[in-house]
Amino acid sequence: MTNTQIRHGLRTGLIAGFVLVFLAITGFAFTLATSLSNSLLGFLPSAERGYQGMMLLLLILGIWHGTRAATRIGPDTWMGAVLSGLVAGLVSGLALAIFAILVGRQVEAGVNLRRYLVALSPTAVDLLLLGRSAVSGAVMLLGIVTAATVLGAVLNRALGREALPRARAALGSGVSSVSASMSDKPVVRYITYFLVLALLVWVPTVLNQSLNYTLGTVAIYVLLGLGLNIVVGLAGLLDLGYVAFFAVGAYTVALLTAPDPHGVQANFWIILPLAVAFAALAGVLLGVPVLRLRGDYLAIVTLGFGEIIRVLAGSDALTGFTGGPMGVNSVPLPRFFGQPLGPQHFVYLLIVGVALVIFVTARLQNSRVGRAWIAMREDETVAQAMGINTLRYKLLAFGIGAAFAGMGGALFAARNQFTNPQDHVLLVSINVLAVVIVGGMGSIPGVILGAFVLKGIPELLREFENYRIILFGGLLVLMMILRPEGLIPSRRRKLEMHESEEEAKEEIPPDPSVGGEVFA
Amino acid sequence: MEQSAAPRTSLPFSIAWLIRIVLWIGLTLIAIGPAINFVRAATTPAQLVVHLITGLIILGGVYAEIWIATQPGLRNAYQLFQRVLFIQFIAFVILRIFTVLAVEQAYGPEIWMRFAISGLIIGSVYALIAIGYTLVYGILFMINFAHGDVMMIGAFAGYFIFEGLGGWILDPAAELSFLNAYPILSIILAFAGGMLTSMMVGIALERIAYRPLRAAPRLVPLISAIGASIFLEETARLMFGSQTRPYQNPDLLTRGKGIDIVINQAPVRITYTGIFVLILAMVLLAGLYFLVQRTKLGRAMRAVAQDKKTAALMGVDVDQVISRTFAISGLLAGAAGVMWGIHNGQVDFFMGFVPGIKAFTSAVLGGIGNLPGAMVGALLLGVTESVGPAGLGLDFQLKDVIGFSILVLMLIFRPTGLLGEALSEEKV
Repeated sequence: MTNTQIRHGLRTGLIAGFVLVFLAITGFAFTLATSLSNSLLGFLPSAERGYQGMMLLLLILGIWHGTRAATRIGPDTWMGAVLSGLVAGLVSGLALAIFAILVGRQVEAGVNLRRYLVALSPTAVDLLLLGRSAVSGAVMLLGIVTAATVLGAVLNRALGREALPRARAALGSGVSSVSASMSDKPVVRYITYFLVLALLVWVPTVLNQSLNYTLGTVAIYVLLGLGLNIVVGLAGLLDLGYVAFFAVGAYTVALLTAPDPHGVQANFWIILPLAVAFAALAGVLLGVPVLRLRGDYLAIVTLGFGEIIRVLAGSDALTGFTGGPMGVNSVPLPRFFGQPLGPQHFVYLLIVGVALVIFVTARLQNSRVGRAWIAMREDETVAQAMGINTLRYKLLAFGIGAAFAGMGGALFAARNQFTNPQDHVLLVSINVLAVVIVGGMGSIPGVILGAFVLKGIPELLREFENYRIILFGGLLVLMMILRPEGLIPSRRRKLEMHESEEEAKEEIPPDPSVGGEVFA
Repeated sequence: MEQSAAPRTSLPFSIAWLIRIVLWIGLTLIAIGPAINFVRAATTPAQLVVHLITGLIILGGVYAEIWIATQPGLRNAYQLFQRVLFIQFIAFVILRIFTVLAVEQAYGPEIWMRFAISGLIIGSVYALIAIGYTLVYGILFMINFAHGDVMMIGAFAGYFIFEGLGGWILDPAAELSFLNAYPILSIILAFAGGMLTSMMVGIALERIAYRPLRAAPRLVPLISAIGASIFLEETARLMFGSQTRPYQNPDLLTRGKGIDIVINQAPVRITYTGIFVLILAMVLLAGLYFLVQRTKLGRAMRAVAQDKKTAALMGVDVDQVISRTFAISGLLAGAAGVMWGIHNGQVDFFMGFVPGIKAFTSAVLGGIGNLPGAMVGALLLGVTESVGPAGLGLDFQLKDVIGFSILVLMLIFRPTGLLGEALSEEKV
């Protein structure tokens, strides 16, 4: 019995040790520690604050790790909890300590580690070693991590080992009941709409310029997210070249309103619908050949198209037409009754755009078209057998999604007053995908929340700027494993994603070695 | 749901022809001026022929498209349209190649030879990566999007081993480092390090990001793979920085040195690194083929690829086989990464992305799930991509566009690949 606990402790300890070293080697730990110390430990003298922040970080991570180490496995005794906590803490602490000694010794010998590992500057290593020499710092780290892990394990035992899962379940049901009450009662719904609207009118007036800019970025990502939501969330077509339509919209506005490569200098308000129409047309034209493909092949083809468009837009061969690698500069701000729209007023324009798109999406979702999309997503063959012209509905989804992206791109180019190929890299598509997936595929409030979480919060936490993209990547994997239906799932999606689990609970325990048929 | 209750109203025969003829005449009227100017712009007889054919392709295609578009009640108009566009496209490509080769004659044979050789070398590296895609796709029916980044990690591991050995000075007087004192051993160490690191990353990838999702709907593991790809890239960027790092080769494999062959009174250099990469890649591919065809593990892999359930019933440990598949593809990707570094001389955190896509293209080109297909496809792609920009008279910047276009065209027109049906339509 203690054997299993030791083994479990060893396992979690190894994983945690790896995570700790990873956090240190990528420099994330130092950024976290600094921001912790600045935000929470303001009362301490500033010279000591950094080290205290590092300790606090290790303490938090250790306690969390301890609660994980002591859950589930083995009999529920104090002895067992402390034992697995101790083993886990020692193993993870040892991993960090060894790393710290290795690094610390190098720095003491005057080696410039930054040549190979850019995050390990001398100050960062000093922070890691808590201002001590390599050996004593490492021993101290080992002590802190082990103590925190044991503390976490004991805490877990004291609260009852089921406390965490129970709390999580309670939280989940709370969220879902709130969202259920929102959608079920029309009166509540209209009041919320009104409040949100009032808030949206009021908020931009109190925010400063940079916050308004951030809000604008979030709004553009809501636009893009809602468009991709139709393609991925409703119609079930994974489009990795979504940025191509964004580029079409942005370049249409930039080329036709800017003085530079062509000198058309048309009015923004005329070009905006044109940009949307062009993007939709591009979506349909691209869709005709590729939409016969299924699933992952479609994803790769669209990715290829996106890259082709980006490379072409930035190539020297087309410099005369698209501005080449430099892109198009000096795009004029749109004018409203003769006045150019400032950052604050542009936010209103974006909000109007978002509201329009939300309205269209909501109406489509519950219409015959939306149901046809969902049917197609669930099972294309069956949908076809039920008389749905799948190609046509796919084209419609692609076209509407592309139109939204074109609108986003048009507003983006007009707001930034320039656009170049760097604005249209694959990463934009991936960002939008992350917004849709984190928020909840097929769910409008989900996409809005996703845009705020993934684009809004990182803009506010500037010190974590460097770690934003890795966060996207990690979140995509984590969400797929833990909560594929997203933060605010659409009801149908939630049922679908947990269908197999429900079945497994009711019927036989699943055999992990079987299950390949689902892929076919 | 789609069909309305009333029968499909088709245009009466004569009206369709009327519209068609009006459109044709309209097009002719619009096009005639520019067409005459275009033909008159030709100075030599050869150019005249080229311009005439170009005009015919454009006008003929558009005439045909008008005919299709006005065909009443045509069911497969999309496909017909596509076919015409495809024929137009192919005709243009052939015409362009003909122009470059016969009319402009911008390049002599020695230049073509240079392109072909460099294409073959890059193609052999693509082949090693493509095998990883094909193996995993054959067994799990998922695109391991992060595979290119596994290769990048391997390249970095090799880089650090070379740096370490290069910094280990054995004889300070002669400035002789371990790297140059024992070059063969150093290369073996670098490959071992790169391959093992990539293997471990591959196994970890499968364990963390793919195994929990094996029973999920098909898009779920793909999204997870995209996330993993970003995660690996960013990890490398945060650890090693975003600058491009020069690969330190042992003197034995100095980049740019090589054997010169004289073709058309001009030297064509075959670099030592190129020869090394080509031979090593062939050896590894042969080894892999042996492994898949002749060993017990290979048999288990093929069994799992065919039918997981039955393989499990026959006593094959499916999880273990999948894990080992990822290990093997990781090993090959690591080797490819180190080769890339040795031959091209540069590593950075984003280096895995484009070769990854190209290798996937190769796998698709040869028929995904088909091992010899992936090798043939990779060599073909490497050569096409290398010769292509010159052959089509394009900017060399557009090299990647050729690769991506092949990917897109292949997936649209022949998703089962050149070497026949490895997968049924349903799986594609």
